[in-house]
Amino acid sequence: MKYVKNMLSQSALLAVSIFMVATTSMAAEPWAWKATLDGTGSGRVIDMPTALYIDAERQRYYVVDSGGNRLVSFSKEGNFLLAFTAEEKLQIPYDMIRDNADVIWVVERGRNSLTSINIKAKEILPHIIKDGQKALVPDRLDYKDGIIYVLDKQTGQIALLGSDLTVKNWISCAECPSGIVDFKLTNDGIWALDQLDKKVVQLGADGKLIRQFDIGQKVEFPVSLAIGPAGYVYVLDRHAADIDVFDAQGSFKYTFLTKGWQRGALYYPIEILFDPWGGLCVVEEGNGRVEVFGR
Amino acid sequence: MFNYYRIFFISWLAIVLPIAALADTVCFDCHKKEAFSGKVVHQPLANGQCSACHNPHVAHFKGLLEQEGSALCFSCHAKEQVAFKQGMVHQPVRSGQCLVCHVAHASSREGLLKDPLSAACFGCHTKLPAKFQYTHTPYAQGQCYSCHLPHQSVFGQLLKDEPDKVCLSCHKSQDLQKGHLNYPGTLRDCLSCHNPHGSSRKGIVRDVLHAPFAQGCKECHDKGEIQGSTQSCLRCHEAVATGMFTRHSHLTGKGENKCVSCHSPHAGNEKNLLKGSQLQVCRGCHTDTIARYENKLYRHPKAKEGSCTNCHEVHGSNRIAMLRADGNAICTRCHETQGKFTHPVGEKVVDVRTGLMVTCITCHLPMGSDFKYELIYSGSKDLCIQCHKRY
Repeated sequence: MKYVKNMLSQSALLAVSIFMVATTSMAAEPWAWKATLDGTGSGRVIDMPTALYIDAERQRYYVVDSGGNRLVSFSKEGNFLLAFTAEEKLQIPYDMIRDNADVIWVVERGRNSLTSINIKAKEILPHIIKDGQKALVPDRLDYKDGIIYVLDKQTGQIALLGSDLTVKNWISCAECPSGIVDFKLTNDGIWALDQLDKKVVQLGADGKLIRQFDIGQKVEFPVSLAIGPAGYVYVLDRHAADIDVFDAQGSFKYTFLTKGWQRGALYYPIEILFDPWGGLCVVEEGNGRVEVFGR
Repeated sequence: MFNYYRIFFISWLAIVLPIAALADTVCFDCHKKEAFSGKVVHQPLANGQCSACHNPHVAHFKGLLEQEGSALCFSCHAKEQVAFKQGMVHQPVRSGQCLVCHVAHASSREGLLKDPLSAACFGCHTKLPAKFQYTHTPYAQGQCYSCHLPHQSVFGQLLKDEPDKVCLSCHKSQDLQKGHLNYPGTLRDCLSCHNPHGSSRKGIVRDVLHAPFAQGCKECHDKGEIQGSTQSCLRCHEAVATGMFTRHSHLTGKGENKCVSCHSPHAGNEKNLLKGSQLQVCRGCHTDTIARYENKLYRHPKAKEGSCTNCHEVHGSNRIAMLRADGNAICTRCHETQGKFTHPVGEKVVDVRTGLMVTCITCHLPMGSDFKYELIYSGSKDLCIQCHKRY
């Protein structure tokens, strides 16, 4: 009996030790460059990319080539697939999503429109989104459960559009006096970034504030945020060209990446997001590429 | 127990005080004591502790100082070191130049100020006129501290408080109401119409009036409260509207009307009705960026003088950093020959690191750099090997 007890306690100790070593080594694992999505495969540089859309179902990345007026797709391994120009009709595309009906929605800055691209029907339709008499200035996009979430640059609020493109609801952040500049939809609500007040907020699906924290001590010019698999908040600093990481309560954890032009460095980054394969994707407007980092 | 400590303290004083006195005596054997005297004497000097700042034998810094600039001051003034990093920080403080305003040893003025208060301010703020046709009384009397803080503030222009609260700290609100009988809505945002230093208009109303404001208030304040949105501004300012529908626009700021983030809808000191100088307005949001470059060794003259719009299209631009033109065209407007006789640049020359076109700003950072010619890296080697690896 004593022998069994000893065996059990030793096994438990070993298991705890293995777990601790494993978690320690996981925590210490630094972010490293994995892949670059650039214009090499398409024979033309990506000129000022502004957004990335990740299609988990098709296992593809779509880079919005804002200066080249095209959408460039890559496999999940980072290999170039296709450059889609929408019959040369796009005017400064800025962000994109794909809905459940396979329609691609693109924010076009040149037309101030939310443009629908139905590839099967070969139909490209620009839409000026209005709420009453006021025209929205579409900025960032996301899509969930049949609703298109459009960040309105004019008000810094998120408009919820139905399939008829009418504004069904607004999500505004009373705690963000300067408005929202980026947001991410998660299972537990909406995470949003207030650039000028240097603040991260978590809102419920109904727009009610869940939590907020200041990032001003660590961040110079935040442009984008992403929520990591462990619930950490990653804030992209455009001018400092790095990423600052906070836990969900707002405690600063660490900063990584630096300004530069070589592989793995950032120059005028504009958006970050996590892909479903554990990669952290950084859209670099200044270096004309998207870099994927992994651990 | 108490007695034990008292005896220990008295013994300690008996040892230390003569040593302090000795230091005082030794230094002033050579250095004339009169040169270090005044109404206000820096505490270490008053205590004869010259060695608090100076090393009598050898030191790394001029004046046998133990440390340089604010690092020396902050070795005692630790609380200030923390406080002076918060919010908007006065440029000399940020660059660690305490002695721009203060003297180290003795002064006839409180706070060890080098010059009378207004002279200290006007010593750097040379563009400010000594007086206006109508001058605000505190300004005329050189009482800059009535409204501003000298080191740092959480409010713009180093104000002591929110602008309206600063005004109301002297001007009683009842009196103000009498002077603004036709004012639509709640009386607020004083600086939108008044220049707090002075102007050529009575009531120190700013020199240039916005045309709709000059004609009355109704166009924007028909029902008492503000009716003006960004769109109402853009109805007249059509060219600006075009700039808003670009890749990067300054459609940003608090409130519904984004134009008033930078412009006064009522009156301004110049035709563009900006709420302050270009640098002040830009600094309102880009505090960190301006601070990062302000103390660099080499800066483009236009960046140095705070003329942001010389290179940046402030309403909106399709280019990186909201530049007015691409990284070559923006520079060759002035530097014509460099566009022709220099390291190859332009569409046919590719930056091997990114595949993008090589431009002037591939190598230069006009905002500011610690390398000559505002180079991004040292021109002796580091810059070139970024691309020319074999060299």
